[in-house]
Amino acid sequence: MAKIIKERIPTPERSVDERVKSFAEVNLGYTFELAQKEAARCIQCPYDFAPCIKGCPVHINIPAFISKIKEGDIKEALRIIWNDNTLPAITGRVCPQEDQCEGACVVGKVGTAVNIGKLERFVADYAREQGIDKELLEEELKKIEPKDGKIAIVGSGPAGLTAAGELAKMGYKVTIFEALHLPGGVLIYGIPEFRLPKEILKVELEKLKKLGVEVKTDYLVGRTVTLEELCEEYDAVFIGTGAGTPKLLNLPGILLDRIYSANEFLTRVNLMKAYQFPEYDTPIGVGKKTIVIGAGNTAMDAARSALRLGSDVTIAYRRGKEDMTARIEEIHHAEEEGVKFEFFLNPVEFIGNENHKVKAVKFEKMKPLEEKDKRGKRKIVGTGEYVTLEADTVIIAIGLEPNKIITESKGLKVNPNGTLVVDETLMTSIPGVFAGGDAIRGEATVILAMGDGKRAAESIHRYIESKKGA
Amino acid sequence: MQIEITPSVKNLGQKNLGGVVMYRITDKKDLSPIDYFIEVEAPHVAKAWKPGQFVIFITHEKGERIPMSVYKAEDGKIGMFIRKLGKTTLELYHEFDVGDTLWSITGPLGKAIEVKDYGNVVFASDAVCGHAENHATLKAMKEAGNYTISIQSFEDKENVYPEKFLAKSVADEYYLTTQDGSMGIKGDFLDVIKGLIENDKVDIIFAGGNLGTLAQLAELTRPYGIPTITTIRQIMVDGTGMCGSCRILYDGKIRFACRDGPMFDAHKVDWEDVIRRGKRFLELEKRARERYLQRLNEKHGKEVF
Ligand SMILES: Cc1cc2nc3c(=O)[nH]c(=O)nc-3n(C[C@H](O)[C@H](O)[C@H](O)COP(=O)(O)OP(=O)(O)OC[C@H]3O[C@@H](n4cnc5c(N)ncnc54)[C@H](O)[C@@H]3O)c2cc1C
Ligand SMILES: Cc1cc2nc3c(=O)[nH]c(=O)nc-3n(C[C@H](O)[C@H](O)[C@H](O)COP(=O)(O)OP(=O)(O)OC[C@H]3O[C@@H](n4cnc5c(N)ncnc54)[C@H](O)[C@@H]3O)c2cc1C
Ligand code: SF4
Ligand code: SF4
Ligand code: FES
Repeated sequence: MAKIIKERIPTPERSVDERVKSFAEVNLGYTFELAQKEAARCIQCPYDFAPCIKGCPVHINIPAFISKIKEGDIKEALRIIWNDNTLPAITGRVCPQEDQCEGACVVGKVGTAVNIGKLERFVADYAREQGIDKELLEEELKKIEPKDGKIAIVGSGPAGLTAAGELAKMGYKVTIFEALHLPGGVLIYGIPEFRLPKEILKVELEKLKKLGVEVKTDYLVGRTVTLEELCEEYDAVFIGTGAGTPKLLNLPGILLDRIYSANEFLTRVNLMKAYQFPEYDTPIGVGKKTIVIGAGNTAMDAARSALRLGSDVTIAYRRGKEDMTARIEEIHHAEEEGVKFEFFLNPVEFIGNENHKVKAVKFEKMKPLEEKDKRGKRKIVGTGEYVTLEADTVIIAIGLEPNKIITESKGLKVNPNGTLVVDETLMTSIPGVFAGGDAIRGEATVILAMGDGKRAAESIHRYIESKKGA
Repeated sequence: MQIEITPSVKNLGQKNLGGVVMYRITDKKDLSPIDYFIEVEAPHVAKAWKPGQFVIFITHEKGERIPMSVYKAEDGKIGMFIRKLGKTTLELYHEFDVGDTLWSITGPLGKAIEVKDYGNVVFASDAVCGHAENHATLKAMKEAGNYTISIQSFEDKENVYPEKFLAKSVADEYYLTTQDGSMGIKGDFLDVIKGLIENDKVDIIFAGGNLGTLAQLAELTRPYGIPTITTIRQIMVDGTGMCGSCRILYDGKIRFACRDGPMFDAHKVDWEDVIRRGKRFLELEKRARERYLQRLNEKHGKEVF
C-alpha cells in the first residue's frame, strides 16, 4: 500500500483583509487538480468497514465517490453522492464534518482526515459549472413514472426540499408551502452569503422545479391554510417547519434598542440584504462594539456578519472554549477575522443609556465543575462575581425552538420542548401527516433534516401504497 | 378545499417566472392628503382573512416586509389604508398604479378577534390602520348581533376620508371628531368614550391608531374594568414568530406582536416600551426617505412631496 499523505491539501481562501469588508464566500474550494491530489489521500477503505460512511448521517459511499474524483469521472462521483444526498454543494459547505464523516476517517488517526466535505463540495460545484448535474438530472427525469397522489410539504428548508425532491422523483405531484417570500429556510434567511452563496441554493431550487415541484411562497400554514385543509386536499403532508423561534433572555433591559435575536439580525442582513441598505430598503443598526451571546453556528454567523458591517465583535459564552457547538471551520474563520471570545460569562442584565439604547451587558462569571451534563458537557455554576462589558449592539444567539403556528394545529401531538411527536416512520399523531428536520429534533443540522426528508418520503410512499391496497 | 393558482410568480426567487401576473393592484384612491386606499389581488390571503389579522407585503425585490392592517377582504382582493410615511409607503404611492404588481403578500397574519355577541361594541380610531380596522371589525361585530358604536378621529376637515371609506355604514351609532373642530365633534375619541362610559353604554372597546392615544385609552378604561383591546404596532420583519423584532412585554412576559397579537388587552401592555421601540430605526428610515424623495423630485423636476 502506498504511503499515507499525512497533511491535507489546503483549500484556497480569500484573504482576511478582503473578507472582513465583504460578504463574498470565504472558502474558494478545490480546483480540479487540488481535488485530485486530496482524493489521492483516501486509502479506499472497503465499503463494509469504511468508518467515514458510518460517520455520515446519510451514509454516502464516500470511498467510491472519492475514487471517481481520482479517475476524473465527476459525473459518476456525483451520481454516487446523489444516491444519498441531493444537495452536496450545501452539505459540503455546512456539515459539521469534524463530528461526522471526517471525524471517523482513518487517515485522521495518523494525520489530518481526508477533506471529505470539501471534496463533496468540489464534485457538486464542478458538476454545476460544467453542466454535468443537468445531464444527470435529465437522466433521472426520464426514469420518472408519474404516480397518483398529491403531497403537500410545509416549509422549504433542507427537510422540506429533500422530501419534495424525493417524492417528485417517485412520480408524485408535490406542492411546497412556504411562509416567507423566498424558499430555502435557514439556508436563505440564516446562513450568510459568505458561507453559502444564495446562487447555489437557487440552482438547487431550479432543479426541483424541473422535477415538477411547485413552490407556493407567502403561505403560512396555520393561517393562510390550515393543516386540516391540507389534509383534505392532499393524500399526505410533510411538515418541515424547522425550529425558527428564537429563545430570548427575559432579563432586565431585553427591550432596549440594538438588542437583536440572531434570527432578526441574520434575517435582516441575509434575507432582506440590509447590508446593502439603502439600496435595499430594510435597515439594520449596528454600532461600534457588538457582543454576541452564545457559541453555536448561529452565534458565529451573527458575529461575522456584524464584523463585516464594521463593528468590533466579542462572543460571550457561558461555558468554555471546548464546549462551543459551532463548526470548527467557522470558529477558526471567526478568530482569523478578529472576533474576540470571552468564556464562562452568563448575562444577567442589559444596561441602557438615556436614549434606551443598550450600552453594556452585565455578566456573572461562571466556573466549570467536573460533573458532566446529559450532553456530555461540563456543568457550570455561578461564582457570585460579576463583570460588565461595554456594548452598543447585542445579539442573542442562545437557541431556537419550533414555531408554534403550525404545531398548535388541531390533533398534532407536541413534546414538552415544542417538537412534534413522531413514530419510527416519522408519522405524527395525525395519520398521513409526517414530519422531520428541526421540527422534530429542535435545533439540529442540515444533513439530519435532509436525512429525515428522505426517510419521510419513503414512509409517505409506503403510506400511500398501503391506502391504495386497502 | 380549493387552492388557487399559485401567487408565487416569483416562485424560485425570480419575479414572473411563470408569466402569470399576480398581486395585481386593482384600485388606488386618495383618502386624504396623507392617506390612500389600495386594493390588491391576493386570493389566498383574502379567503382566510378575519378581522384583527394583518398582512405583510413587499413592493419589489429590494423592498422591505411591510405590515398592514386590512380594510376589507372580498372577491380575492385585499383593501388597505396606507399612510404616506417613509420610503416604502411613498414609493408605493408614487411609483405603483392600477395594473402593476406587488412582489409579495403574505397573510393573514396574527390572531383574529373573537367575534361574538358582546352587547355594545365600540371601535375607536385616530389613524390610518385604526380606521381600516374600525370598519372591518364593526362590520363583523354587527353581523354577529352586537350594537356597534364607531368613533373616528381626524386632524381636521381636510383629512377626513370620503364618506364611503368611513365606518358609518357598519355602525349603529357613529361619531366623527376633528382635533380643531372643523368637522364633527372637537377633540379626540377619548372625549367621546368618556361620555359613553358615563352613560353606561360600553361592554367592550376595540381601538387602533396612534400608540400614544391608545396608551391614554388604557388608563381611561382601567378604573372601570372595561375590556379594552388595541392593536400593537411593532416593527416587524417576518411576521411569523421567527425573529422577535416585534417583541413586547405583556403582563411581564415576552410576547411576539405578530404571532400572539396584534390585538392585545391594553391593560396588560407595557406602553412606554411599545411606543419607544417603534422608533428603533428612525435615523436610517429618515435617510432612506430623504434619498427617495430626492430621486422622486428629480424625476418630476419639482417638489412632489
Ligand atoms: C444561523 C444558523 C446557522 C446554521 N449553520 C449550520 C451549519 O453550518 N451546519 C448545519 O448543519 N446546520 C446549521 N444550522 C442548523 C440548520 O440550518 C437547521 O438544522 C436546518 O436548516 C433545519 O432544516 P429544516 O428543513 O428542518 O428547517 P428550516 O431550515 O428551519 O426551514 C423551515 C422552513 O419552514 C418555514 N415555515 C415555518 N413555519 C411554517 C408554516 N407554518 N407554514 C409554512 N412554512 C413554515 C420557515 O419559514 C422555513 O423556511 C444553522 C442554523 C442557523 C439558524
Ligand atoms: C400590525 C400592523 C398593522 C399596520 N397597519 C397599518 C395600516 O393599516 N396603515 C398604515 O399606513 N400603516 C400600518 N402599519 C405601519 C406600517 O407598517 C408602517 O407605516 C410602514 O412600515 C412604514 O414604512 P415606510 O418605509 O413607509 O416608512 P419608514 O420610514 O420605514 O418607517 C416609518 C415608521 O413606520 C414604522 N415602521 C417601519 N418599518 C416597519 C415595519 N417593518 N413594521 C412595522 N412598523 C414599521 C416605524 O415606527 C417607523 O418609524 C402597521 C403596522 C403593523 C405592525
Ligand atoms: S453529507 Fe455531510 S457528513 Fe455526509 S459525507 Fe457529506 S459532508 Fe460528510
Ligand atoms: S475513512 Fe478516510 S480513508 Fe477510509 S475511505 Fe473514508 S475517507 Fe477514505
Ligand atoms: S415580526 Fe418576527 S417575530 Fe414578529
